[in-house]
Amino acid sequence: MFGGLLDRVRGKAVTIPPLDGPLRANTAIDDAPALCEATAPDDLAFDGTSFLFSSGDTVQALPADGTGAPVPVARFDVAVTALAGAADGSVAVALDDGRIMIRGGARDGLALAPSDVGGLACPTALAFAGDGALLVCQGAAGRRPSDWVVDLMEKGASGSVWRIDLAAGRAARLAGDLAFPYGVLADAPGGGIVVAESWRHRLVRVPASGGAPVPVLARLPGYPARLAPAADGGAWLCLFAPRNRLIEFVLQEDAYRADMMRDVARPYWIAPALSSGSSFLEPLQCGGVKTMGIHKPWSPSRSYGLLVRLDRNLRPVASFHSRANGRRHGVTGAIERDGRVLVAAKGGSAILSLAAPS
Amino acid sequence: MNPIVEMQKVTKLYRGVPAIRDVDFDLRPGEIHALLGENGAGKSTLTKIMAGVVDASAGRMLYRGQPTQFATPSEALNAGIAMVFQETSLVPSMTVAQNLYLGTERFLNRLRGIYISAQQFLQSLNFPVDPTATVASLGAAKRQMVEIARAVHHNAAVIIFDEPTATLTPEEKRHFFALMRRLKQRGVSIVFISHALEEALAHADRITILRDGERIVTDDTAAFDRDKIIRAMVGRSLSTELYKARRTAGEVRPRGEKVLSVQDISMGNVVRNNSFSIYDGQITGVFGLIGSGRTETFKIVAGIYKRDFLHGGEVELRGRTVRYLVPAPAVRDGIVYVTEDRKSEGFFETMSIAENLYSGLLAAGLEKVAYVSRREMRSLAGEWTETLNIRAINENARVIELSGGNQQRVVIGKGLVQRPRVVIFDEPTRGVDVGAIAEIHRVINKLADDGLAVVVISSYLPEIMNLSDRILVCRQGRIVEEFAPEDATEEKIMYAAVH
Repeated sequence: MFGGLLDRVRGKAVTIPPLDGPLRANTAIDDAPALCEATAPDDLAFDGTSFLFSSGDTVQALPADGTGAPVPVARFDVAVTALAGAADGSVAVALDDGRIMIRGGARDGLALAPSDVGGLACPTALAFAGDGALLVCQGAAGRRPSDWVVDLMEKGASGSVWRIDLAAGRAARLAGDLAFPYGVLADAPGGGIVVAESWRHRLVRVPASGGAPVPVLARLPGYPARLAPAADGGAWLCLFAPRNRLIEFVLQEDAYRADMMRDVARPYWIAPALSSGSSFLEPLQCGGVKTMGIHKPWSPSRSYGLLVRLDRNLRPVASFHSRANGRRHGVTGAIERDGRVLVAAKGGSAILSLAAPS
Repeated sequence: MNPIVEMQKVTKLYRGVPAIRDVDFDLRPGEIHALLGENGAGKSTLTKIMAGVVDASAGRMLYRGQPTQFATPSEALNAGIAMVFQETSLVPSMTVAQNLYLGTERFLNRLRGIYISAQQFLQSLNFPVDPTATVASLGAAKRQMVEIARAVHHNAAVIIFDEPTATLTPEEKRHFFALMRRLKQRGVSIVFISHALEEALAHADRITILRDGERIVTDDTAAFDRDKIIRAMVGRSLSTELYKARRTAGEVRPRGEKVLSVQDISMGNVVRNNSFSIYDGQITGVFGLIGSGRTETFKIVAGIYKRDFLHGGEVELRGRTVRYLVPAPAVRDGIVYVTEDRKSEGFFETMSIAENLYSGLLAAGLEKVAYVSRREMRSLAGEWTETLNIRAINENARVIELSGGNQQRVVIGKGLVQRPRVVIFDEPTRGVDVGAIAEIHRVINKLADDGLAVVVISSYLPEIMNLSDRILVCRQGRIVEEFAPEDATEEKIMYAAVH
């Protein structure tokens, strides 16, 4: 009853839901065979003949049968931040400077600058809707996608979701004031589109014609990233980093955070990360626990690998993990096709293949 | 070889009901004789007659070939028969050394001399106990050591150990068995009561098994194996039923609705950011070493302990945040904690079974009652005595007079009358014989089959692996690992709990 009042004195208590039930920890991602090693693979798409993934400023193609080395198919002057494939074979590529390019299909060569699409400059996720329109998540207004950690530390909530009619060249904002939307599912089960709102640890449903977002899955134990449709009508949800008590604490301490952002180099902030443990300068690996040289899998860490399968009601039913002592952290993209799920572990620098659960 | 103690057709009646009936027993000089049986089989009664604690109603006892009847334990001790009780009989306000010499003091005592000789004596037994410490300040294991040392100190020819290892650590047990072998070499005869069948098989020369107050068999240890002992103890083979191979995926109950979500709960240094969930229709097994915070965590959930005031975490019951400062609202919300320490927290020992069960119902506050209804009490007792198969000499028997297994059933019944939705069993089979274990396991399984959320906290790995639909491992105040039963092995669980 007086909780809100007391919170002003004692600080707001933040709790993190446990990884159990359908999110029970396992080593499925670490155990999964790697299709290829690549530098920070970020997003995945299918162009009708082969799987594509983005890695830095390059889009590379994996052979359709999943064997053989990846082949670069496009290179850009800035990093690629999102990919999406359409049924007609066209592929949308979003770049760190806000441009969106279309390759292949009926609108091959189309390039949309931020000024063409209402100032949409921070594309973090793309998806083609059934009618051919392109859905775009803008992580934060006025930032680049690569500045995501700054947006989190400043508790940004200026993200939005857009629908771009490629034929007419018009862009319409479907929802705003989102806390870093980082994944979008077009034609989602239950209608409308579903967006992963990272900083609020939840999925929200947005009407296809625009409107107020409604939470459909809240209190996730990590930061949600890309969404992909699953063959059984559900969806795949990537969580690119775990929540932990230390980071939640830092997010409550405004003055400390301001000092940290001013004085400490960005890779060493007490913040979520796509990978960790590579430098002794890191902030104690955020509580990483080692006993006799063995890194405990349950220790709270800055990075983690987690892919969640959602059912048609968007409830978690299974999960695949790379735990604190694992190597395939920072899962940012997934795609299911022909009984296989390809997973991009950006922090683990690998594309992995999982058997899709029947 | 003539026996040093021989019991012939001994019978003991309590209020006309036989606790033991026509029991023959003999103890040879310098042998270790294990006395086994379910709770209530009559082991303690038989040994108490030997040690002069109670009188036999019929039959006779021969000591060194002479018919004997001791009127008091001190008379038996003076004759050379000492008994080490399960519940220690030390004087808490006196020091260890004073307890050792109690009853054998000289007219003039020098305290320093007593301490030095007690120190030497305890060291010779490998018991790490400070002779100057008051007994009240000692833990259960060290009190047991002092009790054992006192029996040895009296140079008894016959020592009766009643469950001597129940509270000892593995290292202390090793020392204890070494001591038992040394005593045997000195010609001391030992009667050894234990529920740990492996201990009897490993250390006894002969084994006697009692069942329902009658002697079933006496034979050399070599003639026994675990299954044969259990069959003789309970009249059927329970070995595979109790602790069979680990469960397969098909045997695991499906997960129901999430009933309890514990998030980042903390209490001092004992419980630290502990998070987990409990589901309907499943048994969640919680394993952890002593001091891992498992009991404290669930006591917070049940409102027995309070979490940290600031940032102490959150407990959600079916999506609703709850914070219990006392157990009563938790019980009203359907959370029942069945204690591990039944003697001090589980029941009112001087009340009858019916009164204890009825007190559980009243405490739940489920029914508005203006007066205590004897009729309702009797009907409640009848129902639960039958459901839980509580066996007592008569219905007015005080709970303290029941065997350990039946006492545990009363504690469980006292919780279940409160119509819980979440039942937390803490060490439900500690100090309980194998027959009662099987019945308690059946009750626990039935609760989960009926759709209740059940938590079983246990230090005994086979029990956890046999009962659980999911296994949580607690270490240093938090759940560190979860296993599905089909993936769990004793090694994996222990590694998570220890390393």
